[in-house]
Amino acid sequence: MHDPSALIEALEPEQLAIATMRPLPRRKLGKGTLGLLITLRVYVAMAIPIVVYAFVHALLTPQ
Amino acid sequence: MTEDTLSLGASPYPGNPENPISLEDVQRGRERLKVLKARAAKNSLRLLWLLAGPGVLVMLGENDGPSMVSYATTGATYGIGFFVPFILLTFLMAYGVQEMTIRLGAATHRGHSELIFQRFGPFWGYFAMADLVFGNLLTLVTEFIAIQAGGLYFGVAPWLSVAIGSALVFGSMAFRRYVTWERTLLGLAAFNILFVPAALYAHPDGAALGHALATWGPLTGGFNKVFLTLVLANIGATVTPWMIFFQQSAVVDKGMTRADVPQGRMETGIGTVLAAVAAVATVVAAAPLFAAHVDVSRFSSGADFASALRPLLGTTGATLFALGILEAGLVAAMTISTSSSYSLAETLSARHSLNLTFTTGRLFYGTAIGSTLVAAGIVLIPHAPLLAMTLTVNVIATLLMAPALLLLLLLANDREIMGDLANGRWANLAGGTIVIAIAVVGACYGVITAFPRLLG
Repeated sequence: MHDPSALIEALEPEQLAIATMRPLPRRKLGKGTLGLLITLRVYVAMAIPIVVYAFVHALLTPQ
Repeated sequence: MTEDTLSLGASPYPGNPENPISLEDVQRGRERLKVLKARAAKNSLRLLWLLAGPGVLVMLGENDGPSMVSYATTGATYGIGFFVPFILLTFLMAYGVQEMTIRLGAATHRGHSELIFQRFGPFWGYFAMADLVFGNLLTLVTEFIAIQAGGLYFGVAPWLSVAIGSALVFGSMAFRRYVTWERTLLGLAAFNILFVPAALYAHPDGAALGHALATWGPLTGGFNKVFLTLVLANIGATVTPWMIFFQQSAVVDKGMTRADVPQGRMETGIGTVLAAVAAVATVVAAAPLFAAHVDVSRFSSGADFASALRPLLGTTGATLFALGILEAGLVAAMTISTSSSYSLAETLSARHSLNLTFTTGRLFYGTAIGSTLVAAGIVLIPHAPLLAMTLTVNVIATLLMAPALLLLLLLANDREIMGDLANGRWANLAGGTIVIAIAVVGACYGVITAFPRLLG
C-alpha cells in the first residue's frame, strides 16, 4: 500500500480533478482565425443539409 | 463543483482545503507513481509499457467493423497493388493527426471537447459534441452489425451476439479504474492481428507485395468511380473525428504529462504499425476473391466476406477472418461509446473519468451505457434502416471531418495553452497538409456518398 499523500504528490497540481474543472479563458481570436471560423460555420451550414438529405434518401430507398 | 460530485467529505486523504483531492486523483496518482519510479530508474521498456494505451487503442479501435469491410472490399476489388502502399500512407496521416492530441492532452490536462468549448465558445463546443455523439451513436450501430454478422458466421443468434456484445461493453465500464479498463481493452484489441494469420492462408506472393510497395501498382481498371470511392473509404477508415476526441481524453485520464510526450508518440507509432499491418493483412486475405472474380458489390458485412473466403482460405482462415471482424466490432464499440462519454461530460462540465464511481460519474457512465443500449436495440429492430444508418455514418464522419481537423490544428497552435508543445513550422506544414488533404477528400467523399449520381 502506498502512502496516499505520496500518490497525490505524483500528480502535477494542474492534474488534480478540481484544477481541471476550472475552465480555461476564452481565446482572443485574431482576424485570420476569426475569418477561418466564420468560413467553417458556412461550411457546416452547407454540410448539415447534405447529411440530412443522405439519411432521408437512404431511408426512403428500398434495401 | 459540489461536495457531492467530488466525494470530498468521504476523502481520507490529506490535502489543502483550497485544492481538495478525490478518489479519481488517488487512482491516477497510483499509476503516476509507477511512471515516476520507472523514469527515475531509467527503465525505458517499463516506462513505455506503463504509458502505452491511448495510442494503441485508438489505432486498433479504428480498425473497426466497417473499416475492415472497406479493406476487404479493397482487396477483393483490386487485389494486391496500389492500395497496399496507399493504406500505409493513410496510417501515416492518421499518426500525424493523433500526435497532436498527445501534446494537447499532456499540455492542458483537458479533453478535446472541453478545450473547444472553453477556447472557442459554446457554438463550437456544442457543435463538436453533438456531431461526435450523434455520429458515434450511428457508428455504434455499425459495430453491432459487425458483432451480429461475426456471430452469424458461427451460428449464434443475432439477439444473443448483440446481448453478449452489450454485456461486454457494460462489463468494461464496471472496472471503475482507467488502467484496468485500458489493459483489458489492449488485450482484446491484440486480436486485431488475427487478420495476419488469415492473410497467410491466402498464400500471399511476397514479390507482388514488394512490387506494390515499390511501384504503387498495379492499378487494375484505372481511375474510375469505384477507385475513387475506395480511396475515400480507405481514408475514412483510418482517420475519423472520434479518434481525436478519444485519444486526447484518454491521455488526460491516464494522467500523462509533458514529460511523457515522447513515450506517447512512441506508443501511438506502435499502434499505427500494428493497425496498418492488420489493415494490409485484410486486403491480402481478401485478395483471392479478386483472383477468383467474385462480385463483392452486394456484400454488406464481414460475415459475407468470411463465408465467401471459406473455399479459398479454408475453414481455419475464414474462421480467423470472422473472429477478427467480431473483435473489430467489439473493441470499437467499447472505445467509441467511451469517447461519447468523455465528450458529453466534458461539454456539460460534468466529471469525466474511467476512475469515477458510478455515483460521481452518472452522466459519464450513463452516456456509454445509454448509447450502447440504443445502438444494440436499433440493430435488433426487424427491418430497421441499417443501410441508411451505415451510409449516414460515412457521410457524417467524412463531411464533418474538416471542422474537427481545423479546430485541432488551431488548438495545437494555441501557444497560450500549449507553451513549448505548440506546433512548430514543420509540424504545421505536415499537419496543415494532412488537414487540407483529408478535409478536401473527406468533403468529396461525403458529397459523392450523398449524391452518388454525380460521377455518372
